[in-house]
Amino acid sequence: MPSAVVTADRIFHALGDPSRRAIFESLARGEAAVKDLTARFDISQPAVSQHLAALKNAGLVYGRREGRCVYYRVQPGGMKPLIDWMAHHRAFWTDRVNRLQRLLDTMDD
Amino acid sequence: MTDSTASAQTETISLDLDLPHAPEKVWRALTDPALLAEWLLPVFDLQLEPGAAFTFRTQPYPGWDGTVTCRFVEIEPYRTLSYTWGVPFLETVVTFTLTPTASGTHLSLVQSGFKPDQKRESGGARYGWKMMGGKLVDLLARMP
Repeated sequence: MPSAVVTADRIFHALGDPSRRAIFESLARGEAAVKDLTARFDISQPAVSQHLAALKNAGLVYGRREGRCVYYRVQPGGMKPLIDWMAHHRAFWTDRVNRLQRLLDTMDD
Repeated sequence: MTDSTASAQTETISLDLDLPHAPEKVWRALTDPALLAEWLLPVFDLQLEPGAAFTFRTQPYPGWDGTVTCRFVEIEPYRTLSYTWGVPFLETVVTFTLTPTASGTHLSLVQSGFKPDQKRESGGARYGWKMMGGKLVDLLARMP
């Protein structure tokens, strides 16, 4: 099964959770360590780690180890599968609108 | 940040076209079940009333019967037609806007609200996601 498809699925799952979305948006503004996020969102460290794992699994963030700390940041291009997914919707409507135009040509005024 | 921009861009699809047909005729194609079946999808229980529920039917898929559940949001004859467009994991809104022009009608189509559905995520959608597995793109090739 194509990995892009799996990723789109995981992105929706990952961003479906409000806490994870908040963490993702926060990381989009800049790099942060688990402890920074724990303080920022008032969520327990294990919970933050779990959220980060889901975001990482979806290809949305990645971690960089520095000493005892792991710093997380947004993965460039991580949202691309969603954009590709949108392209399918656009293709659907483009096709249907073409059909609509052909139909209108055959209809009585 | 590029990714936040990309996120915002994924929330709407819009198409615009100029049609050499009167708004009344275009409206008919958008609201008559027999005509809808010809260009969009077979439609069931369609009643042009605000809040009324109806469905489109597309090919079934393992774990999904192919029903698109819809509800009218706005109906302004010959001007605006808007309804929700719900599939197992996502609810978007489709809006058609008709503007009379010298040569016919300007038709604008907007599908908005492409973002994770929290409400469903907590319940049914989790199942929805699982059952679709990795076949999302195949599915989307067949339906919006």
